[in-house]
Amino acid sequence: MDIDILCKVVDNFGDIGVAYRLARSLSELGNPPRLRLVVDDFASFAALDPEVDASAPSQTLHGWELYRWGGAGAARAKEAFLAKRPRIVIECFACGRPDWLEDILFDPLVEEPSLIVDLEHLTAEPYSVELHRMPSLTRSSLVRKAMFLPGFSAGTGGLILDGSFERARELSSSEAGRLALRRRALARLGPAIGGTAGAEAIDLETAFWVPVFSYERDYTRVVADLAAFARSRGTLALAAAGRSAGCFRRAWSEAGEPFPLVDLPFLPQEAWDEVLAACDFSIVRGEDSWSRAALAGRPFLWQAYPQEGKHQLVKVRAFLDRLRPHFGSEGSASGAAFAALRDLYLAFNDRDRDGADTRGGESLLPVLGLYPELLSGFGEFSASLGGARDLGADLVTFLREIW
Amino acid sequence: MVVTSQLRTGSVFKVGNDALVVQKILGQKTGRAGTVTRFRVKNIVTGQTSDVACDSGEKFESVDLDIFQMKLSYIDGETYVFMEQETFEQYELTKDDLGDNAGYISADDDYPIEITFYDGKPVGVTPPILVERTITYCEPGVKGDTSGKTFKPATLDTGIEVAVPLFCEIGTRIKLDTRDGTFAERVK
Repeated sequence: MDIDILCKVVDNFGDIGVAYRLARSLSELGNPPRLRLVVDDFASFAALDPEVDASAPSQTLHGWELYRWGGAGAARAKEAFLAKRPRIVIECFACGRPDWLEDILFDPLVEEPSLIVDLEHLTAEPYSVELHRMPSLTRSSLVRKAMFLPGFSAGTGGLILDGSFERARELSSSEAGRLALRRRALARLGPAIGGTAGAEAIDLETAFWVPVFSYERDYTRVVADLAAFARSRGTLALAAAGRSAGCFRRAWSEAGEPFPLVDLPFLPQEAWDEVLAACDFSIVRGEDSWSRAALAGRPFLWQAYPQEGKHQLVKVRAFLDRLRPHFGSEGSASGAAFAALRDLYLAFNDRDRDGADTRGGESLLPVLGLYPELLSGFGEFSASLGGARDLGADLVTFLREIW
Repeated sequence: MVVTSQLRTGSVFKVGNDALVVQKILGQKTGRAGTVTRFRVKNIVTGQTSDVACDSGEKFESVDLDIFQMKLSYIDGETYVFMEQETFEQYELTKDDLGDNAGYISADDDYPIEITFYDGKPVGVTPPILVERTITYCEPGVKGDTSGKTFKPATLDTGIEVAVPLFCEIGTRIKLDTRDGTFAERVK
């Protein structure tokens, strides 16, 4: 089977992160498909995988052919795709198709069939089941199209279960394994971490790890709650490179540096996966980190991409609905943990836009105060996903069925 | 070319050599990458219907259509009979052919309706953007609530259910936007 994966980078690393993880997952299958990737931003790809040459017009990577979407490198892509016509094309997140590929697919002189699959964004909303595997249309009867939706429930395409993440998850299931992951992460940060303010007062390996990878906002409330929590439990915040790092550091400085904070360099995807698997509580955004945090089974706060009319709250509520069955009844401590978590999610996501001055009414401390109940609920939720379908394998099965 | 986001009930577009008419918009979902719309489409030539989902950017060939203004003469069960006002020639369309638009029109209406013809055959209708309909059932109105921001379900004289503001009563005449079936205003 030959598969071409298309990816346009819209929001930093989320789009390419999913495309890259999908490619790795497909290549790990028995009798793996031959892959070609067409990407518009090699620099973002290179940040996730240092083996990518961001300046090359095209290249071979892990046995895949990697081409540029547009610009000068696109001519080489067109040449390659004319020599070997596309049969199955995966459009990540309805990213569309480059003009040169459009010309090849819809060439009126060619009568070979092809298939396009629109791999949509992850959502917990019920429509993920309704739309999954639904037929779609193009202007040619020779170019068929279908929808494919990831999701958290049966009846969707599931989540990508790539080997690297699965190994990190497996390792994190034991305390010894988690410590090993943490040592590896700390080693990557180098000796400089020892000089971080407050680091000498806690055991970095066993501290309460809180990686922060979200959008810009005023983190004053979050930092204040973490500071209060840190008084009784050694806490290490890890600011992931990117949009939230500066805002988080500012709030932390203004609060008097109440716990150690480490600025993470931009990590390759597999290294970031290990941090999420080894942490205690994460703040994550978007899709790829969201899905990893969910699979990791560690409590987390998800920040959804802001949409017009605060539509992100619909998506957040849908996710909370998926989490709810894994917590106890209202009167129980587990139920109270969920109630605090729900309030935190809704307050943190209730915004029209992202900016350094974006404030919310979020309260993290009540959530952290019920951490054991939270850990149990997220663990159960993760276990329920472990039985879910692997998106890569399910996608190939689907392609075999309809091709 | 026409893109998915321009398609409405009654729109006709081509897939290969086949002309498809949109019978119903079954739902939409909005994500960061745009909107995915679920349609019920009918192949005009074979009569076969199917449900499909399209992302907002997909492009289709538009179709050469003839459009005539007619009036709905009468409804006989599932058959809608339209009359051309100059020649008095009659054309029949089924309720399925009209799709969602069947809920917007009635033989009592005074205004003309666009009938779309493909290859000499009527295939769909396009009502005016705003049509007037009468509420035949809803919960009692709430006096003093004229904000129009809170809605309740109401059944119209054509049998469809729409959302109307709380101040509406049985017998209230309203204007509906036929592009999406939303309440536009109360007829004064």
